[in-house]
Amino acid sequence: MTAEWIRFWIIAVILILGLIAFILAVIGVNRFSFVMNRMHSAGVGDSLGLMIVIIAMIIFSGSVMTALKLALLVVFMWFTAPTATHFLSQIEFYTNKQLEDHVRMKKTLESGETAPAPEDAESRGREDGD
Amino acid sequence: MTIDQAYSYLFFVALIVFGILMAVTLIRCIIGPSINDRILSINMIGTMVVCSIAILSGLLDESWLLDVALVYVMISFLAVIILASVYIREGRRKAAASDKETAGKKEEESV
Repeated sequence: MTAEWIRFWIIAVILILGLIAFILAVIGVNRFSFVMNRMHSAGVGDSLGLMIVIIAMIIFSGSVMTALKLALLVVFMWFTAPTATHFLSQIEFYTNKQLEDHVRMKKTLESGETAPAPEDAESRGREDGD
Repeated sequence: MTIDQAYSYLFFVALIVFGILMAVTLIRCIIGPSINDRILSINMIGTMVVCSIAILSGLLDESWLLDVALVYVMISFLAVIILASVYIREGRRKAAASDKETAGKKEEESV
């Protein structure tokens, strides 16, 4: 009887931790001001939040087959979420004309220039301020 | 309170919280200034739906719902990849066109 309740409380704590990770991700997605910051915040929910919720469900599920299916969900999400983020950053790179106002980019090799000095680049990053 | 009731309360609360979070993410999808925000929000809603299906399979004690979740992961990933590749191709074409225009202007100036 008490062992069942101990398992219940473990599951409840882990599930609420996963919900907190998702809440932080949603707050970040709604509050950050630039797309790249929002992508970073969405990644928290995509990998960490999903993993914690699925771990809670693995502890809850009794059979081995169900646990394996749940683990397969985590594996799929961990492969697909970074790939989707990579594609989204490519969209941002090709469609945003004012990208250099927000992020520090390496110069291309064709222009023949070296990257700006670290102090210079840092002060530029501070001025943007988002 | 029996243990089954406790589990069902816990899972109901988690599902309600996920529903609220999905609604809040949908707001970002609607007001998102660029196409990138919209695809990002839809991807995140997909992740939350997968979590909800996993919790629902525990609540209803139906393990076949996890197969639905697996298919859902693959299809939401496919949607993101296809939309992204369409917009990347469009952006590349526009960038190439603008590069040609600027190159032509430079040549005219030098002449």
